[in-house]
Amino acid sequence: MTTPQNRGRYPGFDVLEQADHWDEATRKVVLDRVHNVPPIRFFDADEIPVLRTFCDTVLAQDCEPRVPVLEMIDAKLHAGQHDGFRYAGMPPDGEVFKLVARGLGDEFVRAPREQRVATLTAMSKGELDWDFLDPGKAWKVCMRIALGVFYSHPWAWNEIGFPGPAYPRGYSRLGIGLSETWEADPAPQRDHDPVKENIGP
Amino acid sequence: MKVRGRDPVDNDSRWLLDQHSRAIPGLKSMRTYADADEVDLVIVGCGAGGGTLAQRLARQGWRIVVLEAGPFWDPDTDWVSDEAGSHDLYWTEDRIIGGEDPVELGKNNSGRGVGGSMVHYAGYAPRFHPSDFMTQTLDGVGADWPYRYEELKPHYERVEAELPVSGQDWPWGDPHSYPHSPHPLGGGADRAWEGALKAGVEMRVGPVAITNGQFGHRPHCIYRGFCLQACKVHAKGSPLITHVPDALAHGVEIRSLCMAVRVEVDESTGAATGVTFFDRDGRERFQRAAAVAVAGYSIETPRLLLHSTSARFPNGLGNGFDQVGRYVMVQGASQVAARFPETMDVFKAPPPEISSEQFYETDESRGFRRGFSIQTVGPLPIDWANHVLADGHWGHALREYMRDYRHWSVLGTLCELLPLPENRVTLADGVTDRHGMPVARFDYTQCDNDRANIAYGKETLRRIWEAADAQDTLTIDRYAHLIGGARMGFNPEESVCDSDHRVWDTPNVFVADGAAMPTQGSANPALTIMAAASRLAERLAAKRVRSAAPGRIRPGRVAR
Repeated sequence: MTTPQNRGRYPGFDVLEQADHWDEATRKVVLDRVHNVPPIRFFDADEIPVLRTFCDTVLAQDCEPRVPVLEMIDAKLHAGQHDGFRYAGMPPDGEVFKLVARGLGDEFVRAPREQRVATLTAMSKGELDWDFLDPGKAWKVCMRIALGVFYSHPWAWNEIGFPGPAYPRGYSRLGIGLSETWEADPAPQRDHDPVKENIGP
Repeated sequence: MKVRGRDPVDNDSRWLLDQHSRAIPGLKSMRTYADADEVDLVIVGCGAGGGTLAQRLARQGWRIVVLEAGPFWDPDTDWVSDEAGSHDLYWTEDRIIGGEDPVELGKNNSGRGVGGSMVHYAGYAPRFHPSDFMTQTLDGVGADWPYRYEELKPHYERVEAELPVSGQDWPWGDPHSYPHSPHPLGGGADRAWEGALKAGVEMRVGPVAITNGQFGHRPHCIYRGFCLQACKVHAKGSPLITHVPDALAHGVEIRSLCMAVRVEVDESTGAATGVTFFDRDGRERFQRAAAVAVAGYSIETPRLLLHSTSARFPNGLGNGFDQVGRYVMVQGASQVAARFPETMDVFKAPPPEISSEQFYETDESRGFRRGFSIQTVGPLPIDWANHVLADGHWGHALREYMRDYRHWSVLGTLCELLPLPENRVTLADGVTDRHGMPVARFDYTQCDNDRANIAYGKETLRRIWEAADAQDTLTIDRYAHLIGGARMGFNPEESVCDSDHRVWDTPNVFVADGAAMPTQGSANPALTIMAAASRLAERLAAKRVRSAAPGRIRPGRVAR
């Protein structure tokens, strides 16, 4: 079993072990995500390191194994796959990524983590001084797409204990604290909320 | 029309499905018409409105062609039990969103393909309250419908039997019961119910358009939780399985991957002559028809009407008084999630499980008019990640929240936001689709009443979770559904169509979807869109549609 950066709360749980129980159409879509990652075709060579650093920072992918987030975003944009809306005054989604790469620049790649976090915090609040792009809206666009690909990957499901596709099998044990035998064993109950400790980005 | 017992009347769709395959069997033997045939009716859009209208009128012998921009689905091969893989279910072509509170479109509210957005709706199927039809008279806000709840009631009953809807006896609005029993609760809904009870909020199970038991050739729900990714089981009802099979059996042609671009009119009479469209091969064609029903929902319906310009209608159909595209509504659908020590596993069971309409009506002490509903939702990982992000978390914090996914339960509001003239669909400047047709631009800004409603709704959700002893909460502000944009009314100065959905100044063009609705209540709109289409069909079939326009409706059919 693999989880991004080997982090997770469900040791030994691997949704891919259940692939035989999925319908054929679903199995193909999900397994392609793991085994057939296309090369980068949409982004240029000078955009790649900047956007890779962006993706690694916003998703806290600071070591291997990594979900190939940039490759998956690139595949979506290369295919011209849009999400059905565009904020007034904003260019198409692919162009937004390219402008973000330009705005962050090479110095973002070389910057220490604290500085990258500070830059992206400003971007998320729309406080970067960009005259070619609305940083707050660009943040929304990039994050929607980055989260969409990261949490579509079975390694991320392993990390969070999501059992993935459930057709044609379905569920019969629905109540509080109940699991099917093929679900992850619930992690030990905590009487505190682990994120209350203000981890931050 | 009377519903006998709890079985659908005059609709065999449930028996026309194959028990061993999810493809719609009638597609293979579908009747076809030539473009030059003047069919009785062309319907644009095969969703809740268009699908229902086609089925009803085909039963009355009407010759009908439905133009659907999206595909004719084969659920076994086209649909997946996966969030990201369901991207093709949505209207993903560009649209521009503006205003002070822009509404994100796409997967949240815009369908494409036979079955419309009901293919990927959660499945909630509540009725509107009687008050929704007269908010202007009762509360001094919104608009009155040109007809009352009582006119829709028999159609609500009929559609509830066809979907079929399951749920507990319903105490709110016009009290009623449902054809199928309530579903069992998943962990998340169970905990929400507990909290609501302690907070003095009454909940009920349902109402959801999901089978609880065998229904014709449709099986029982398997509680796999992917309702919003299209139901591969055929347990959740959408027109694809509830009305299209019967429509095909009665001679309807559904032309999928066909994009309507203009309703054509006879310049001398103002009557529509048919619809120009691009077919699946990109060829421009024209289907002749004696009448046209537009059912493309609140963005595409106004877009098509606005684009249908002519010397007689230079500003588009029904737009003599600049009304087309106005009063588009969305519901305030903020969600508050709560963390608990035990696993909630909201990815199991249907995400739509329990709801409350206790706050539906105006209560002056809350400081705003109209109200909201409360419903459970069950976000899958991608939706949940966006919820966490909306509360301001990314990087390591986001990953940590996500690792806790199984411990969160989520409640949502549906706040009735008011119809406002400046919340409108227009044709975008300089952005066109692949056929060269300008895309839609949708501007949206809330009014003070809307903001007060949303804030109060969220506070109520927090109160419920506090009563349930939640360890932490996370909030996301969002919208759900679309309504209006070509509303019916009493006169052409303030509306686009009359009480028979007939576009003012035309004798034979109808708006047969949610775009025609003047208010939205705090109810998910699908059931009401279907019921209104069912009512329209009944009136058209009985020739009760008035004609005040010069082109007049010819005797026989609407125009045959």
